Amino acid sequence: MIRVATDIGGTFTDIVYYEHDEVTDTVSQVASWKCDTVPEDLTSGVMTAIDGVGLSPSEIEFFAHGTTVVINTIAERKGAKAGLITTTGFRDVLEIARGNRPDLFNFRFRKPPPFVPRYLRREVEERTNHQGEVVCPLDADALSELVAFFQGEGVEALAVSFLHAYANPANEVAALEALGRLWPEVPVVASHQTTREWREYERTNTAVLSAYVSPVADRYLSTLESRLRADGMNRPPYIMQSNGGVTTVGDARRNPIAILESGPASGVLGAAALAQAIGRPDVIALDIGGTTAKCSLIEGGKPAITTDYHVEANRENPGYPVKTPVIDIVEIGTGGGSIAWIDEGGRLFVGPRSAGANPGPVVYGRGGVEPTVTDAHVLTGRIDGGNVLGREGGGDVEAARRAYAELGATVGVTAEEMAHGVLRIADVNMENALKLVSINRGHDPREFALVAYGGGGPLHGATLATALNVPEVIIPANAAVFSAWGMLQTDLRRDYIQTGTARLDDADPSRLEGAIEALEAEARDGFSAEGMDGGRHVVERAADMRYRGQEHTVKVSLPGGPVDEPAIAGWIERFRDAHDRLYRIRLDVPVELVNFHLTAYRIIAKPPIVARAIETAPVEDARIGRRRVDFGEAGMHEVPVYERSRLRPGMELEGPAIAEERGAVVLVWPGQRAEIDGFDNFIIRTGE
Amino acid sequence: MAAAGKNVDYFTVEVIQMALLAMGDEMFTILQRTAHSPLIFETLDFAVGATDADGEIVAMGNGVTGFLGTLDMAVKDVIAKFTQAGNLDTDDIVLLNTPYEGGGSHLSDISLVMPVFDQDTIVGYVVNKAHWSEVGGMDPGSVTTNSTDIFQEGLHFPCVKLCEGGRMNEALVEMIRANVRLPDMSIGDMWAGVSALRMGERRLKTLIEKYGREAVLAAMERLLDYGETMARQSLAKLPKGTFTSSDFLDADGLGNGPFEVKCAVTITDDEFICDFTGSHPRVPGSINCSYVNLASRARAVFRAVTVPNIATNGGMYRPLKVICPPGTIFTALSPAPTSTYYESAIMALDILWKALAPHFPERLSAGNLASTASIGVTGNDPETGEFWYIFGPFVGGWGAEVAHDGGRGQFCAANGQTFNIPIEITEARYGVVVERYAFHTEPGGHGQFRGGNGVYLDYRVSGDRVMLAAGVGRHKYPPWGVAGGADGSYSYVKVIRRDGSEEVYGKISRIALEKGDLIRLATATGGGWGDPAMRDPMRVRDDLRDGFITAEVAREVYGVEEQDG
Repeated sequence: MIRVATDIGGTFTDIVYYEHDEVTDTVSQVASWKCDTVPEDLTSGVMTAIDGVGLSPSEIEFFAHGTTVVINTIAERKGAKAGLITTTGFRDVLEIARGNRPDLFNFRFRKPPPFVPRYLRREVEERTNHQGEVVCPLDADALSELVAFFQGEGVEALAVSFLHAYANPANEVAALEALGRLWPEVPVVASHQTTREWREYERTNTAVLSAYVSPVADRYLSTLESRLRADGMNRPPYIMQSNGGVTTVGDARRNPIAILESGPASGVLGAAALAQAIGRPDVIALDIGGTTAKCSLIEGGKPAITTDYHVEANRENPGYPVKTPVIDIVEIGTGGGSIAWIDEGGRLFVGPRSAGANPGPVVYGRGGVEPTVTDAHVLTGRIDGGNVLGREGGGDVEAARRAYAELGATVGVTAEEMAHGVLRIADVNMENALKLVSINRGHDPREFALVAYGGGGPLHGATLATALNVPEVIIPANAAVFSAWGMLQTDLRRDYIQTGTARLDDADPSRLEGAIEALEAEARDGFSAEGMDGGRHVVERAADMRYRGQEHTVKVSLPGGPVDEPAIAGWIERFRDAHDRLYRIRLDVPVELVNFHLTAYRIIAKPPIVARAIETAPVEDARIGRRRVDFGEAGMHEVPVYERSRLRPGMELEGPAIAEERGAVVLVWPGQRAEIDGFDNFIIRTGE
Repeated sequence: MAAAGKNVDYFTVEVIQMALLAMGDEMFTILQRTAHSPLIFETLDFAVGATDADGEIVAMGNGVTGFLGTLDMAVKDVIAKFTQAGNLDTDDIVLLNTPYEGGGSHLSDISLVMPVFDQDTIVGYVVNKAHWSEVGGMDPGSVTTNSTDIFQEGLHFPCVKLCEGGRMNEALVEMIRANVRLPDMSIGDMWAGVSALRMGERRLKTLIEKYGREAVLAAMERLLDYGETMARQSLAKLPKGTFTSSDFLDADGLGNGPFEVKCAVTITDDEFICDFTGSHPRVPGSINCSYVNLASRARAVFRAVTVPNIATNGGMYRPLKVICPPGTIFTALSPAPTSTYYESAIMALDILWKALAPHFPERLSAGNLASTASIGVTGNDPETGEFWYIFGPFVGGWGAEVAHDGGRGQFCAANGQTFNIPIEITEARYGVVVERYAFHTEPGGHGQFRGGNGVYLDYRVSGDRVMLAAGVGRHKYPPWGVAGGADGSYSYVKVIRRDGSEEVYGKISRIALEKGDLIRLATATGGGWGDPAMRDPMRVRDDLRDGFITAEVAREVYGVEEQDG
């Protein structure tokens, strides 16, 4: 049987798969392939990929799918005409937002427009108070008038968001029932279905975005499901979510915003799975693509999760909040295609503008004229200029050199010096992003390994690890399509977050226990409603806590077991330790619990990741040549070049060295050592 | 120093500069995440920075525009008092809040300064300034419109050591604790500031260990030169000449006013001169500001028209000159009350903006609410008896632009990365029920492009013995229109008593309220741009459909009849 993951990106659709022999429970080598994404018929790319590698859907025992359909629908503003129903007096919450203005000195600032214009935001009489008591039941009669209005306006999806629905969703549930009766054809998303955290603007916007993408996601997911079924696949497909787990098609259709960041999440999840398999549960994941670099910290084999996430936010734009759980990723605008430039004051910048895939770096010879990070790698010999893109006759190295000579002339350095400088700046950008997820959150990088993947990860990994004193870099096989591989390692995952503020110094343990049990019951019911009572379930508890008087919380994992006074005292200690690690402050102030956060997994049976036998073949067998590589301060070296796929477990080599595979180059610095482990990982020891 | 820096290569300087800027961001996050005052963690009424050994800002993280000119002045005050006397050591921290000198604004804004040593030499300073929710004084929350001199406004720290050689000055901490109404909150804010300083100090020392003192100092110097170069290049492209404006501050909170204020901006090839001569003398109430804050607002406008998008540093202000004789409402001297100084400071910014807007349409919009529109509501929790206190800036309308309607529901230009307090949190924490948070259609802001709508915020009082204070500007003089656009609407606070009687206020304090009374804050709609007759009728119909204007306004101001269906 075959286990398959497919990942639709903006440019390419990736497929990663391996064979699983159920009798021996052994697996074949992982294989991968990619084809062009077809923007107007996304799911056809998936079928093409399955066809292209000669798989028959009936052989598939597990199928996971990641997709950019939701994020693209938002980015291109191609979602539904959506309407919003709110509590009387609050239809403008969506547009007032938080009132903030990150672009401080832009005295023409305007916030980005809401996804529902004012005339499609309507109000109904209803009210719940902050204690969760319904003080005014929903006026269901008013809904039929609103439905008639929305129908007349050609509305295609609805969001419902009532005040304090996080505390008691009864009125939202009543609205869902009434709307389902009055207008069953149109998808409706209520705010409590997206999150049970307080803050009405964030929750409302999440529900609105979910409704906005709902018809598009719905069409997409049902087409995918029916095409796979028509071609003979008899297992349900799973959809990758932003939280690092998969879910069923039915669940994804109910709240499609939860699959917003499925691509980046699967890479981090892959790093976590790999880390656990090789017995290094603490790693930092680094994914360098053409436009950005993303990093995320994994502690104890678990990626960090956040609900403080904004679409399109940057230094000028407050963006749009999405409160569904997302793997906590720091992303910066520096990747292989990032353009280097010098401003009028003489400062050097790399990115955030990217040459992308088209025209691409200057060396591609497709009309790009601005120097990119990839061009700098070519000029230093790190990437083979004669072999970029597999082009006949090689890349246009002289054009890249001219572009760098021109940029260098403005500050009086040569093309080669400039290329070096640009790589230094790009590395510092990435180093700062890595610091944000590690040092700035109280973690010592020396205690972590760096898992580097994506097209650029293997090239920058050793440099960055050295800068941060990280002792070991792990470069997985098929580094360029590692994100898709990550999906093969997932379980079903659902997050349940519930706001219910309580002071812990005089808390009633039975009330807290009741709150946790209610969430656990909800999780159980959720799985059994989809016929998944069987199998192995795992539930993890966490809480967002703070010192009384603070606003911002720290997420702390909590042990299972009964909730009594000693247990709560233990929670408080965990919080104080976590706060101290993050901010170097431990206060003698009562501690408050703000949200319970329950994560429920239904474990998907999967073959174990098993180490292969160590071989004794000499590393020279994998050598395919030598070339001159400029290591800047570490000098110019004649470097052996290896073919990555011919490097076998047990082989060792010494830096400087280069290993090439399709879409990626591994760089080992002088003085560093490397080896291939039993999992085909390329391990670089930085000597730190 | 310049000669020494020549040995340091261009790329190393770039790398250190990036590290300095990242350090500013990191200190900012630490202070925000650990603070105890909502004004810090939600309103982001604070700033952090690092300076060179002369007190020139090399990196800054700020959440509001108002603190631009104050961090460097705080450091320079410390240099004058302690460094020059040889009385500043490793791990010392100096605390100051004097409004009239240094980096002060009002007593609530506390600056903390720490030197960074490399061996025996000070190579720079780290500094922050934050609005503590409580520093004592005559009224809860310390911000008051009742004061007539500074002695009523709270604890006054004239540049004193909070920490000596790493040892906290416990006597000072105890004095603070004993003199403020919410000691845990104020002391919590103090620790947040201290930990941000210590983190910054550690980072700067690490940079010196890694790259050497010479390289770090060279990077600082070149960063300042960079700021200056960018500002001068932009200045060279600006239209030259003298541009003037005037306006009125409504009231001082003690029944006095209005007060006229004036400015003349002269732009030459190499200078940007803001002259406020002729502005009203200092007033009896607490709306006076000091020269430092006047200069700070001038810096903000200078930034907006020259280099809005590059990281802040001291070098960029070298072409700026700010002139105003002492003793005015903008240059108050001791012991003038300054508790609500931001109202005059915002007006200083607004009249500069007003003078320049017609000539800089690509950078400046028409007049906005130009006030923090702050209200303060206090009471005690009926169950726990705990004191609660709502105080904050609120959102309103921004002015229209040369080719676009103005922003709706945004904080004024004195705020920035400021967040409103969610309704669900307000109701959970304070003794009010929020009944409405919505755009209004009060008359004003008409134009070819309309000013952004202001907002109604309705609080129903749900506790007993609740007190209201308000500091709402543009209550009598609305936001200004440009190029034939109409002025915006007025800001005000209305109290609707249970018996239906109504009272309307601009600046007021100590209004007693009872359970069931309604407080309505109405914030101004921004000024319009261009002749309303020129507005595209399609836009008028959209406005009507969206309820941003009434049918009457569509007909009478824009000449557009409502269409059936």
